[in-house]
Amino acid sequence: MGEFNVHRVRFFNYVPSGIRCVAYNNQSNRLAVSRTDGTVEIYNLSANYFQEKFFPGHESRATEALCWAKGQRLFSAGLNGEIIEYDLQELTIKYAVDAFGGPIWSMAASPSGSQLLVGCEDGSVKLFQITPDRIQFERNFDRQKSRILSLSWHPAGTHVAAGCIDYISVFDAKSGSAIGKMLVDRQYMGVSKRKCIIWGVAFLSDGTVISVDSAGKVQIWDSATGTLVKNHLVSNADVQSIAVSDQEDSFVVGTAEGTVFHFQLVSVTSSSSEKQWVRTKPFQHHTHDVRAVAHSPTALISGGTDTHLVIRPLMEKVEVKNYDAALRKITFPHRRLVSCAKKKQLLLFQFAHHLELWRLGSTVATGKNGDTLPLSKNADHLLHLKTKGPENIICSSISPCGGWIACSTASRFFLYRLNYEHDNISLQRVSKMPVFLRSALQILFSEDSTKLFVASNQRSLHVIRLLEGGFKHLHTFQPQSGPVQSACLLAVSPDGAWLAASGAAAGVLVYSVRRLKLHCTVPAYNFPVTALGIAPNTNNLVIAHSDQQVFEYSIPDKQYTEWSRAVQKQGFHHLWLQRDTPITHISFHPKRPMHILLHDTYMFCLIDKSLPLPNDKTLLYNPLPPTNESDVIRRRTAHAFKISKKYKPLLFVDLLDEKTLVAVERPLDDIVAQLPPPIKKKKFGT
Amino acid sequence: MVQLRPRASRAPASASAMVDEGQPASEEEAGHGLLLGQPSSGAAAEPLEEDEEGDDELDDEAPEELTFASAQAEAKEEERRVRETVRRDRALLKEKRKRREELFIEQKKRKLLPDTILEKLTTASQTSVKKSPGKLKEVNLQKKNEEREKGSDSKKAKEKVQKVQTVGQNKSYMAVRLKDQDLRDSRQEAAKAFIQNCLYGPGTNRTTVNKFLSLENKRLPMKKAAAQFLNNTWGSQRKQNAKRFTKRWMVRKMKTPKK
Repeated sequence: MGEFNVHRVRFFNYVPSGIRCVAYNNQSNRLAVSRTDGTVEIYNLSANYFQEKFFPGHESRATEALCWAKGQRLFSAGLNGEIIEYDLQELTIKYAVDAFGGPIWSMAASPSGSQLLVGCEDGSVKLFQITPDRIQFERNFDRQKSRILSLSWHPAGTHVAAGCIDYISVFDAKSGSAIGKMLVDRQYMGVSKRKCIIWGVAFLSDGTVISVDSAGKVQIWDSATGTLVKNHLVSNADVQSIAVSDQEDSFVVGTAEGTVFHFQLVSVTSSSSEKQWVRTKPFQHHTHDVRAVAHSPTALISGGTDTHLVIRPLMEKVEVKNYDAALRKITFPHRRLVSCAKKKQLLLFQFAHHLELWRLGSTVATGKNGDTLPLSKNADHLLHLKTKGPENIICSSISPCGGWIACSTASRFFLYRLNYEHDNISLQRVSKMPVFLRSALQILFSEDSTKLFVASNQRSLHVIRLLEGGFKHLHTFQPQSGPVQSACLLAVSPDGAWLAASGAAAGVLVYSVRRLKLHCTVPAYNFPVTALGIAPNTNNLVIAHSDQQVFEYSIPDKQYTEWSRAVQKQGFHHLWLQRDTPITHISFHPKRPMHILLHDTYMFCLIDKSLPLPNDKTLLYNPLPPTNESDVIRRRTAHAFKISKKYKPLLFVDLLDEKTLVAVERPLDDIVAQLPPPIKKKKFGT
Repeated sequence: MVQLRPRASRAPASASAMVDEGQPASEEEAGHGLLLGQPSSGAAAEPLEEDEEGDDELDDEAPEELTFASAQAEAKEEERRVRETVRRDRALLKEKRKRREELFIEQKKRKLLPDTILEKLTTASQTSVKKSPGKLKEVNLQKKNEEREKGSDSKKAKEKVQKVQTVGQNKSYMAVRLKDQDLRDSRQEAAKAFIQNCLYGPGTNRTTVNKFLSLENKRLPMKKAAAQFLNNTWGSQRKQNAKRFTKRWMVRKMKTPKK
């Protein structure tokens, strides 16, 4: 395998934003997650919980509610008073409609999916009709005295429950008049000065309304008589979210202390038919407020201020007890946020509104395996580049020579030229970007830094030649049909002859850069692509998918390689397939064509194609064999997958040169240290 | 006090007073004379009564003769008197205002720094503004963005202060581009403040992340330190200075040859 000096980088100050809303779509088994910076991410739960699409955030969009409507349409509403529809095919925002009620606090789609109800700051509940291309304002319901913080439709679409401050009102959906009002106590069996905020309501088909409020109570009401049926005191802090399953036999609530409670409808005694709601399971997977929960048929999904998305499959609903029934916690991004300029040893970090350029430190010391070498020169923060405007950065890249930086937001494309003189760095912006280069999903520079490849969100691929002081548009590859994948990845061969682009429904497309036309198409696979890489010399395209399958395709021969067929025949090791996080980067050794370096969040792996493949019985994560063992044993236990779990959690691993690796880590404690304050926990003895 | 019209019987005395009024030198005297001429109510009452009594006795006599000329002269004198009083009042007010302004100017002069320092300041700020407008803009943007990230309420105040520095000495107004202002509504602000208050305001039981994570360390059988025990940002300026000093010292040490 070889010995490497590893640069352990921990100065990438990556802090994800907290999760605000979660919406589950049953038909397509997809989860829409919106964060506090306005980003909306779509996770495909059947493709190994991979984040397949995302809409970049915007500073003025403070999303407060997210919901799916009929026909896979996604709507969100926020404090800027607008209802936004997202176009999942084109990956843009279709339109934004102002509701004229002030900031919008809650939104609910009717059970039939054709109407949308929003609750506003001024106390009005507005009904919109969903037409095939837009939404149309229909009617205002009776105006309430305080802001409407939560809404819920009756499954038959006849009534609506709205939670305000200190009371819940029930409306008749046809006429819009308020039929009933249920007053909520400010504190469980007590008096309090703080107003009781009803964070969530749920309307069940037998007329019961379940409400969760800021006093920590879960209350069950009968909407026909307006009386309280049952009161559960669940926590000392707020209970902030509620989600009911489709069968209405269980619901889940999330509290501000990070606990998620599961309530189930259980019969009173084993023989009677009378049922009651009982709190069955507590889950403590979060440290901060759980502001959003969702209930899918088999799992409980929760997300909150501590930025984790936790999917907990329910044991009684899972049919087969295999690895699918394990807890999934999604913390780190499923895309690459770090680019590396290998020759100059520079790293480019992508944040939401700025880019940072760092030069790696150097050392002159040498040592044995496992030693920490002292730095003779520290890492240097060279550049802090802010983008103008309120939008978040979608993608960024630095050329391998370090002379060009490109980044893109939803409406603008930035290209900068860097000059280095004696430790000083000067930046020049290339102005007058062409009109077609508005926003890019992926940017890649060629190995000799003369060409720039841009995958735009209009599904076309642009090739641009970079000149000193400007650029020249060379060619545009025609747009492909089918929905746009957000993970539109690009890979270019080191000799500059081939360009591979994923993102089309047909599979991975390979273009010839020299002849500027499509060369071949890798057959489509039903799981999305998570990483692409083209090997030097052999021009083999290595593709990693979200179900942890890795394929190798030979571009000159237009077929899968022998090694890839052998791997597929034998199958991967079961531990390899059970990994949680997707592979986000593939790179190669310049001198050794048999090596492939891949990494995901918790491991990095060097695949040696010359060694035999492991079968299910061998140990996958074999540690470094002790040197006093005989050669025979080492040869018998060695296999192709050399995995190291020494550095984790990893955001990026790459080979800088033959003897050096760079590993960008992001310890979870450093992220947690920068989160907002959590609720105080009192423990005996402290 | 009612200014009674001087009676015909007093006419000669007042006429002499009025004649004196024509000369400006005797203005004040005339004024005083007029004032004196104004009979007090008591004094007026007596002659009235006397006159009345006199009138009763002299009822049968013919009324006094009053020539047109004398009446005209009286009227003219009266007008002149009124004009004089108005002019005097205005003059008095003017004087008052003049004195006040002078007082204010003096006070202001006392407050401001000596002129030399002010000159220096204005020239220095102008040249610095001319040299690096770009830098200032970046600094402003940086500060703005930092503050946005922090989300502090004193954001707007800080921005105003910065703008004032670039505008110069004119602290009475501030010119701001509408484009640079964030797209915020007062209602949106109020909504955000409401949420912030509900979740993190007074009455909520919040604690710092450090304390939260260190809670378990306190209950372990071997008590450990807090999760963020060291404050790495303490004394960063001092540490930088120390580094620079050691560098310079090393260079000096290398330069001087060993004896």
